[in-house]
Amino acid sequence: MAERYDAIVVGGGHNGLTSAAYLAKAGLKVIVLERRSVLGGATLTESPVPGYKFSVASYLVSLLRPQVIRELDLAKHGLQMAPSVGTYTPHWDGYLDRRTDHADTIREIRKWSHRDADNYDDFKQTVTDITRFIRPAVDMPAPDPYGDPKEWLEYAGLAKEFGHLPLRTKGALLDLITGSAYDFLRRWFEGEPLIGTMSASGIIGTFLGIKSPGTGMVFLHHYFGEIDGSFREWALPQGGTGAVAAAIASAAQSFGAITRTDAPVKQVLLRGDKAIGVVLESGEEVYGDTIVSAADAKHTFIDMLPAGSLPTDFETAIRNFKFRGSSAKVNFALDGLPTFTAAPPGNGHLLGTVSISPSPNYMERAYDDAKHGHPSKRPFLDMLIPTMTDPTMAPPGKHVATAFVQYAPHKLAPEHGGWDNIKEQFGDLVVDTISEFAPDFRDKIVGRQIMTPLDLERTIGLTEGNIFQGEILVQQMAFNRPVSGWSRYKTPIRDYWLASSSAHPGGGIMGAPGRLAALEILKSKRGEA
Amino acid sequence: MAPKKSVPKAAPKTLKASTKAELPPKVQKVPRAAKPAATADVVVIGGGHNGLVAAAYLARAGIKTILVEARTELGGMALTGDVDGVRAPMLSHTVGRFRPRVARDLGLQGKVKLVEPEARNFAPHPTNGTAITLWRDAKRTAAELATRPNGERVAAGYLKLDGRMRRVGAYFEKVLDGIPPDLDGGKSVAELLAGFAFRAPFSGLEEGDGREILRMLPMSASDLVNEYINDEHLEALISWRGSRYNASGPISPGTGATLLFDSITGDGADGGASGETVVAIGGPGALISAIADAARGFGAEIRTGAQVTAITERDGRVTGVALASGEEIIAPYVLSTLDPKSTLLNLLGVEATGPELRRRLRATRNTGVTAKLNILLDQLPVFPSAGSAAEQEVRLRGRITILSDTLGIERAFDSSKYGEMSDVPVVEAMIPTLIDPSLTNDKRHLLSAVVQYAPVDLKGGWTADARKTLADRAVAVLESVAPGISSHIVARQLITPADLQSDWGATGGHAMHVNEGFDQFAQWRPLYGIGRYETPIDGLFLSGAGTHPGGGVTGAPGANAAEKLIRHLRRAAE
Repeated sequence: MAERYDAIVVGGGHNGLTSAAYLAKAGLKVIVLERRSVLGGATLTESPVPGYKFSVASYLVSLLRPQVIRELDLAKHGLQMAPSVGTYTPHWDGYLDRRTDHADTIREIRKWSHRDADNYDDFKQTVTDITRFIRPAVDMPAPDPYGDPKEWLEYAGLAKEFGHLPLRTKGALLDLITGSAYDFLRRWFEGEPLIGTMSASGIIGTFLGIKSPGTGMVFLHHYFGEIDGSFREWALPQGGTGAVAAAIASAAQSFGAITRTDAPVKQVLLRGDKAIGVVLESGEEVYGDTIVSAADAKHTFIDMLPAGSLPTDFETAIRNFKFRGSSAKVNFALDGLPTFTAAPPGNGHLLGTVSISPSPNYMERAYDDAKHGHPSKRPFLDMLIPTMTDPTMAPPGKHVATAFVQYAPHKLAPEHGGWDNIKEQFGDLVVDTISEFAPDFRDKIVGRQIMTPLDLERTIGLTEGNIFQGEILVQQMAFNRPVSGWSRYKTPIRDYWLASSSAHPGGGIMGAPGRLAALEILKSKRGEA
Repeated sequence: MAPKKSVPKAAPKTLKASTKAELPPKVQKVPRAAKPAATADVVVIGGGHNGLVAAAYLARAGIKTILVEARTELGGMALTGDVDGVRAPMLSHTVGRFRPRVARDLGLQGKVKLVEPEARNFAPHPTNGTAITLWRDAKRTAAELATRPNGERVAAGYLKLDGRMRRVGAYFEKVLDGIPPDLDGGKSVAELLAGFAFRAPFSGLEEGDGREILRMLPMSASDLVNEYINDEHLEALISWRGSRYNASGPISPGTGATLLFDSITGDGADGGASGETVVAIGGPGALISAIADAARGFGAEIRTGAQVTAITERDGRVTGVALASGEEIIAPYVLSTLDPKSTLLNLLGVEATGPELRRRLRATRNTGVTAKLNILLDQLPVFPSAGSAAEQEVRLRGRITILSDTLGIERAFDSSKYGEMSDVPVVEAMIPTLIDPSLTNDKRHLLSAVVQYAPVDLKGGWTADARKTLADRAVAVLESVAPGISSHIVARQLITPADLQSDWGATGGHAMHVNEGFDQFAQWRPLYGIGRYETPIDGLFLSGAGTHPGGGVTGAPGANAAEKLIRHLRRAAE
């Protein structure tokens, strides 16, 4: 007879591990069941090219909640993060190289537009004010408009604060929640590479263009980023993003949680309307009081539950939940650094992100292709060379480059014959795109790994390859994530909880859904919720 | 938000303007007046339907009102004009959604004849020979849809969507007549919960519909419709109404809000999934005349050919308007129905508006992409997919929308983003002479067509060649569903967004003044901070399509802004 646990966590990605750690820390007997032979989910470091380590799917950490780092003592468990310094944007007529030094940044921006340089501080202040105001919401469960008024009381402070915000902050916040990233930036800026690159924060992982309303929300989502209290700072974990998952796993284990890999869950076991355990693909059954799913909403509710176990309205809502993956990941093993044609002297511009986003129209046209079912002819790329700060990722003197590529629509037009058919061609396109600005890039490549949206779906288990386990759309956020009335991690199945990025506050390496779900579960066990 | 249902009957006898306002405006800002300046309590700028409605409400409340219209004719974009000697709707060809309560308040019933055809929307497919008709009666629509491939499911989905839109539309019917709630109003926790949680305005709605509204507003029209309907032609046809007149496509988020606003139901409005189609006999100008008569009847003074060159102000307080003639009108209050950029950027200086507001307002989306093509035909064109001649007479009385699928509309939209006109524009036509033969009084027919997308900032400019190209492309679209129509064209008249800018004064040539969608909506239409009709300039009120609840011949922005101003005047008089 199988062993019994207080909590079974399905999925060993960073959110599942975070949930497990919090539950185990509270004294629960917890097991994490991971389908693959490695932990981490999309927070993963692997070596498909021997000697070179790639952050396979994700690449930067900007959103990891400081509470998670602190409460799980991740530094003690080996997590080391170096701030990612700046963004370099090559352009046909030059470049824009923004680093951490403020005066340098202003000088760089002034090369393209005096007005932009003059407005930059006002923009920064506005965005800082907005994030400061909205940030607490990331660390609280979303209140339900039709729920217990108690839930809204948690937000009363925030609502009161809204009343006191200056008009410009309020207006800008509404602009972000309802409008496009491009229109938001246009209020301050006009420079092509500046708007092109900054607007990218509005489309990452989203099947919309920079001019589509709604991308302001995605932009805002990326600006929650906070490392050591400084906003919009992105960081590179030493050892790749897999190191984040490893540290959280180590923390969970130190609290007594058991982590099992190669344990794919086939179905959740129900008794009446209550979840009582899971059955693995192998037929093995594992029983627990509480089942926590860190898989996305589709796997959690459609694939892992017996048909007909959900209320019809809820099931319809889940089927209407949009994934629409729009990005791919291409990782390169390099035997040297690429030389960009238009770049400052030295290699300092390669320390941070290399963003191929030279103009707003370049970005918008990339979306137009995708909208009609084609990979962008000239895609937006966000490339990192982690070996600039972490030489352990490659053999001595060698480098790795990891490129986030958009758009790569999950649903291709029929003429392409599916992603497997055009995968290598797509890899070549990425090489061409980088080589347009760094002609020797193609000669430095000694190996590459292409993760199409289909690969992200098959390998990592992300439905439609969506990196956020559900699009960051206004109608899929806060109290609507994943379904209105079910935004507080509970599900219509008793003792079955959702702790993945499909829940509030959404995707990215945040650990927030995992942590908030665990806290709600513990509250419920104490009889408080 | 409790929608204000009626206008206060009793008006204050005298209106006391502030001492400041009685001072003459700065001399250097205004050309010297040739004759003594006229005075009024309120100057309404713009003689379109909203300006006339506002003037009528103000005059009805006993307020001395002068309306000034730059053009020689009233009507703005709701104008009955002239095509080759024939009276024709110039721009808007329907007057559906005109608020019934406005008609009641102003006593317009019986003054203008409105006709609502049974067929609201006929959609001949441009390539495959099929057609969809959306009838006023949803059951009749469903019965016809059921004969399409996968028809039973499509028909059931349509009825479900129509039901949802009607229930939600009943909520929006109230929203339309109200001043958007003040998000700052929350002083106590109770108020915050009521206002911030959106609960109070939702009272009377079932929980399921309330939840749906919060989800639907930011959605794209195509996502919204697609949840109910799995038929690409029908999905495109319904979701199109979220982008009509706007620089967006059915996939653009926020077009769900526009679609829902266009589907209001209740108090005489009857939108639903098909949307309303209401035609004024005599063209939209007949409605304009009726409102103008009502305004004059209440005592408003209406001047045409009177172009405002500046709104005068002193120390942040409105003092009146200056006209192109050199004349000035002294008034402590100005209500402008021009587009917000014209009002705040062009008619006022930076010292009055301040750099912050100007910076934000400049970024407001108002790129016009909609042209209007008016065609005079020597006979009724034949649409084979509409069936027999008798059947055609019935089906063609509503809007005739020519599009194929969502991505097709998106493709047409894509080119406009880069300053190009669509190869295959979306065309929404009306044949007003089928309903109102008095327009031509003979066998000739008028075809009035909305042609989209053709951007105001067309690369190379709106040359004669460019105009011909667009008209030809629109006619080619018509030809695809009404073969032979080109040979019956007697005259054609194209009005481009550039014309809307130069001849109608709409900044950006946008028919709705500023783009519609969830990003420029309710109290953030056109911008948060000036979305409740009041502006930072004392005495200046905004109205018109650029304010809540937006464009279309509703009269609602005019009525709401006037109510707000009347309330303000009452308080000031106390």
